[in-house]
Amino acid sequence: MNKIKFIAIKEFRHIMRDSRSLIIVILMPIMMTFLYGYAINLDVKNIKLAIVDFDNSSESRDLTGRFYNSGYFVKSEKLPDMESPEKVLVAGKANAVLFIKPGLAEAIANFSDYELGITVDGSDANLAAAASSYAKMILAEFLSSKFSSGQTESGVILRSKILYNEDLQSSHFFVPGLIAVILMMISALLASVTIAREKETGTMEQLLTSPVTPRQIILGKVIPYVILASLDGLLILLFALIIFGVPFSGSSLLLMMFGLIYLTTALSFGILISTLVKTQQLAMMFSLLATVLPTVMLSGYIFEIKNMPVVMQWLTQLIPARYFIMIIRGIMLKGSGLAELWTESIFLIALTIGLLTLAVKRFQLKIG
Amino acid sequence: MFATIFALVKKELIQVRRDSNMVRMLFVMPIVQMFLLAYAVNSDVKLIYTAVYDFDKSDLSREYIRSFSPGEYFVTGSSKYSLLECEEGFKNNSYNVALTIPQDFSNNLENSQPTEVGFMVDGTNSNSAAIAMGYAGVITQQFNSGLSANSAPIKLAEKRLYNPEAESVYFTVPGIIATLITMITIMQTSMAIVKEREIGTLEQLMVTPITTSQLILGKIIPFALIGYIEMTLGLVLGILIFKIPFVGSVALLYGLTFVFLFATLGLGMFISSISSTQQQAMFFAWFFSVFSMLMSGFFTPIANMPQTIQYLTYLNPLRYFLTIVRGIMMKGATLSTLYPEVIAMAIFGVAIFTLSWLRTSKRVK
Repeated sequence: MNKIKFIAIKEFRHIMRDSRSLIIVILMPIMMTFLYGYAINLDVKNIKLAIVDFDNSSESRDLTGRFYNSGYFVKSEKLPDMESPEKVLVAGKANAVLFIKPGLAEAIANFSDYELGITVDGSDANLAAAASSYAKMILAEFLSSKFSSGQTESGVILRSKILYNEDLQSSHFFVPGLIAVILMMISALLASVTIAREKETGTMEQLLTSPVTPRQIILGKVIPYVILASLDGLLILLFALIIFGVPFSGSSLLLMMFGLIYLTTALSFGILISTLVKTQQLAMMFSLLATVLPTVMLSGYIFEIKNMPVVMQWLTQLIPARYFIMIIRGIMLKGSGLAELWTESIFLIALTIGLLTLAVKRFQLKIG
Repeated sequence: MFATIFALVKKELIQVRRDSNMVRMLFVMPIVQMFLLAYAVNSDVKLIYTAVYDFDKSDLSREYIRSFSPGEYFVTGSSKYSLLECEEGFKNNSYNVALTIPQDFSNNLENSQPTEVGFMVDGTNSNSAAIAMGYAGVITQQFNSGLSANSAPIKLAEKRLYNPEAESVYFTVPGIIATLITMITIMQTSMAIVKEREIGTLEQLMVTPITTSQLILGKIIPFALIGYIEMTLGLVLGILIFKIPFVGSVALLYGLTFVFLFATLGLGMFISSISSTQQQAMFFAWFFSVFSMLMSGFFTPIANMPQTIQYLTYLNPLRYFLTIVRGIMMKGATLSTLYPEVIAMAIFGVAIFTLSWLRTSKRVK
């Protein structure tokens, strides 16, 4: 125990000595939370839509009005010229063009067949998907208002009730996920250097000739970073609560506990990388390349896992952030407890144990 | 002059080649990531899992439930939880929506009475929740007017230009390549000078008759080459395996890539000039990598962001490069439409290089 303590103290001194790095480690996550908490959301609005209205009737103007007043679409900067209306899409001046052919008014009056055309710029898949689903929704609303006059008092009335995020605040969904993503990246980055640095500066041999076991070295090295990363975690959590007003309906103790487990996973991953490479540069590059894109893309932070192909869904099971995002969203937004989160907890704990054992094993192998 | 730079470039390339781990990281890892992540981007809202509590169990109620299913949105099924413990299902994510049909549903409808239906939505994911409510409203209106989505005479014919099958891969793969090139060039250059300083070889370089600009050029040319090789690898594999279309001019893309690399390498040099250890350089590189990635419009449209944040994205070379890559590859865009992006990247590159040149020459002395 004592030996672990000494290694931990030594590592702590290392951290404290480079005060600039320390400031960076504490300030950057906060800046990131602030920036991306605002930037990342899927509240699609301001889709630039050009409408080419050849019908020019009161019905077509009604439809045009519904599109522009929906909050999802805005008028495009440039009106398309009539010969080649799709040209506006190439320059990115509009994201979609809606064509209203002559005959819309008659079609509504006679209940006859008619086709509206919408051309969407598919090169931005996110925007295209949003444009097409909102267009369908607006059209469906338009049609039911035209064809179901007078029947409204009798039929089915839908009483909607929103649970958990009643105001449908996008930030309440994304900020907890952001915490998980930032913690994963910074912890892996921090830990990945520790052993590589000793190797690079040649102090590893000194450590190894001293009477400490590999397990003690690793534990001694992880502990200071667990403390540092927890501090980071607490700060960004506080920030999320104060600036973004993310609710906290569950148990903070439970979140702390899972937070510690999650940090250990991320740090173990960093240590594992550290045992695989020889230089600090490689260690840091490895940990960044291995955490940044996969964590952001496969954790469910932005893209829902259930929408991915099945093979990809399996792949996401290897991403620790996936489980922690479910846990932190569950605890903060829904007030979930262990009863609901036990599957995620088991997977997360299994990953932690797996990574930590692997790191210790690799480290022992290196020595032997 | 050129001989000196050439010698430096050669030295850097030898250093990279000697380290087999580095080679693997620079060329294998990006390709592996491209394959693993290609299908992850998909923000279409679909598959809203719906628990149905049908207390009426009549033909009418079943018809109402069926009207939810044919669309691409709702997946209906009965719940394993009773209505009293319905929230359990929300908490463990078995479903995101619960539909409750009361016992007097068909009775009321047959007597032309209004009847209420409960629609509970998990608001955690605000975007899916809003879309779910919108669709449920439309479906209900259509049910009321005796109109199903398929029988309405007026239809919306949708056409997607450039990416007709709405393959998210076409959009994701170039995005991943561009992001990885950004990350790798920033990381590599940000280390370049700081590493020499930390190991103490910078003094050695200083006593040789190398000027600051030669040193900077010698450091960035190898990484520009690596950037080009990576892009070529990614593009060839993307086109061969993911069948990504390439409509525009290859030469134009390669030419504009130069401007882009100029900007990211400049950013790396700038980081190198403000950091005193490799670790600090890496933290900055991390910060700017994530910044480029999340603020580029790759994952979420820039138009969604608050106005002030949108201004910040103008400082992001990747933002412009993504527009250029998509423009050239999918739309066949030419310089006549892409020039604003090119100018912006060039200005960024010149500015950041001047800054880092000033800082480096000061520190060298």
